[in-house]
Amino acid sequence: MVRLMAAIVLPLAVPGIITGILWALPGDPASIICPPQICSGTEALAQRFNLDQGAWHFYSTWMGNALSGDLGRSWRVLQGYPVMDMVKEYLPNTVMLILFAMIPVLFGSIAAAAGWMSDRLDPLWSAIGLVPAVILALLFAAYVQITYGAASYDGFPATLRILLGAVVLGVADGTLAGAIVGTRSVFEAEATQRYAQIAILRGETTISNTLPNVLPALVGQFRARVLHILSGAVVVEVVLGINGVGTLLWDGTLLQDFGVVIAAAWMFSILSSVLLVAQASAEVAVAMHVRRSPAVPA
Amino acid sequence: MNRSTGLRSAWLGAAGALLAGLMIASAFAPDFLSSPNQDVRAVGFFSEGYILGTDMRGIALSEYALQGAKIVTVPAVISGFVVMLLAMVAGLSRCANVGWTDGALQAFSELVGALPRMVVILVVALALPAEWRSLVPIGVAWAILAAPGAMDEAAATAGRLGGAKFVEALRAHGFSAWRIYVYHILWMNLRPVIVRQGAEVTMQVVFLEIALSYLAVSRQQPSFTHADSVYSWASLLYDGYTALVGGTPMMHAMMLGLALVAAIALMAQSIRMGARAR
Repeated sequence: MVRLMAAIVLPLAVPGIITGILWALPGDPASIICPPQICSGTEALAQRFNLDQGAWHFYSTWMGNALSGDLGRSWRVLQGYPVMDMVKEYLPNTVMLILFAMIPVLFGSIAAAAGWMSDRLDPLWSAIGLVPAVILALLFAAYVQITYGAASYDGFPATLRILLGAVVLGVADGTLAGAIVGTRSVFEAEATQRYAQIAILRGETTISNTLPNVLPALVGQFRARVLHILSGAVVVEVVLGINGVGTLLWDGTLLQDFGVVIAAAWMFSILSSVLLVAQASAEVAVAMHVRRSPAVPA
Repeated sequence: MNRSTGLRSAWLGAAGALLAGLMIASAFAPDFLSSPNQDVRAVGFFSEGYILGTDMRGIALSEYALQGAKIVTVPAVISGFVVMLLAMVAGLSRCANVGWTDGALQAFSELVGALPRMVVILVVALALPAEWRSLVPIGVAWAILAAPGAMDEAAATAGRLGGAKFVEALRAHGFSAWRIYVYHILWMNLRPVIVRQGAEVTMQVVFLEIALSYLAVSRQQPSFTHADSVYSWASLLYDGYTALVGGTPMMHAMMLGLALVAAIALMAQSIRMGARAR
């Protein structure tokens, strides 16, 4: 219930908080787009960007437009350019980056669950996980730049940047180590339960018996890892020069482009809500599965 | 002293030495870098009388290293303590069996845990006026975002102890509330979890500072984490990157940057190993 509530509140709250910050900053919000000291026509700009009738008007108008697919216009990154067009251009790279980054995480989780990976290797994964994403990304960026020079942002080198970025996101900052150790610990804890021990004595596999019960915990871990990867995408995209939503968010923040930041943050919050709903659905499905299961005679 | 205790002491000694080194470096950091000196180009360690060498302007890299330490030390330690405090609250509340606290903490964990961390950090950075630029608010925000994991783990550890039943059993032995909660629960049982989480967040905040400053430096923009008069360790890494790509003789800056990052990772790992459960 709490999860579903959070899933509903999040996409509404994130633009609301950013709007609140915009109005809490010193000075008129329109002066961020165009400081009166250096240009005239601030009032016209305020009207154009819906900043002339207060915070609530801005928020409600922005939300209404966003729900119909219009994310407003950029204030500074590409002034006046529709943010939706920017997102459409940048989103595929971010999606690709995140999907590729999930490969080592999923492989690590499956290997740990199936017992293919010895726990003696855990210190190795932990040591690799200590490397910060920014350092690994920096070294990969240097490699691509040195190897391909000026042509490193087009064609294969651009794809290579995404692939290397995915490696960084999937391995650095403890992502892979967390997936392996986290998954294994969930299964090991469940395997100590009496029903699992009896199943093992009956010659059944541990995984087939414990999976329904550990599924909600695994989905919860998966959600946390996707969020972790999403967060890391901002750093990795900028360092590796990948044109993704993370780069857009960073440029928007640097240039105080609230038009871009509010849209990018909203998209991230929607994804987070989807993950929350997925986790809640998995929990409900497991609860229903357990209820439907026939009672075992004593 | 058995082998395990000896190893733990060695890890704690290493952690203490690294933390002390960081704090001393922070205390001795100059407020401003020296003036550029075009006559000096010590492009390597132990060159022309400069232990860590200089940059292309003849400014000693040791000054960058000290200033970087000054930027991160206090905010990272504060952030670590924030997480430790929140984890302590979660662990103790599981044992205290106060009905509403568990629900409230779960709601907090769900809401905060659902937020994409970097988005929140950038929003916090966006909200900071230029004259308030500092790592403290960003670090504390990171600590709050990292708290749900630490709180869940502390509460689970307290739950495995037996929660309220554990407290009840110790009360039956005649122990005071102070002894039960502070000594038996916090010190004897929750300490490894709480210290590990605090150490991890301390390390993460240092790395976050490096990442944010690096992104800003690479775009030729001021960083959100410190004033323009001081330089982060990210500057060393950026100089190292330009050395790798552009062939400038600044590889020693990259080496120094990587060594500082490794020292922070080693410090966090040492604290973790030193505080692990017996």
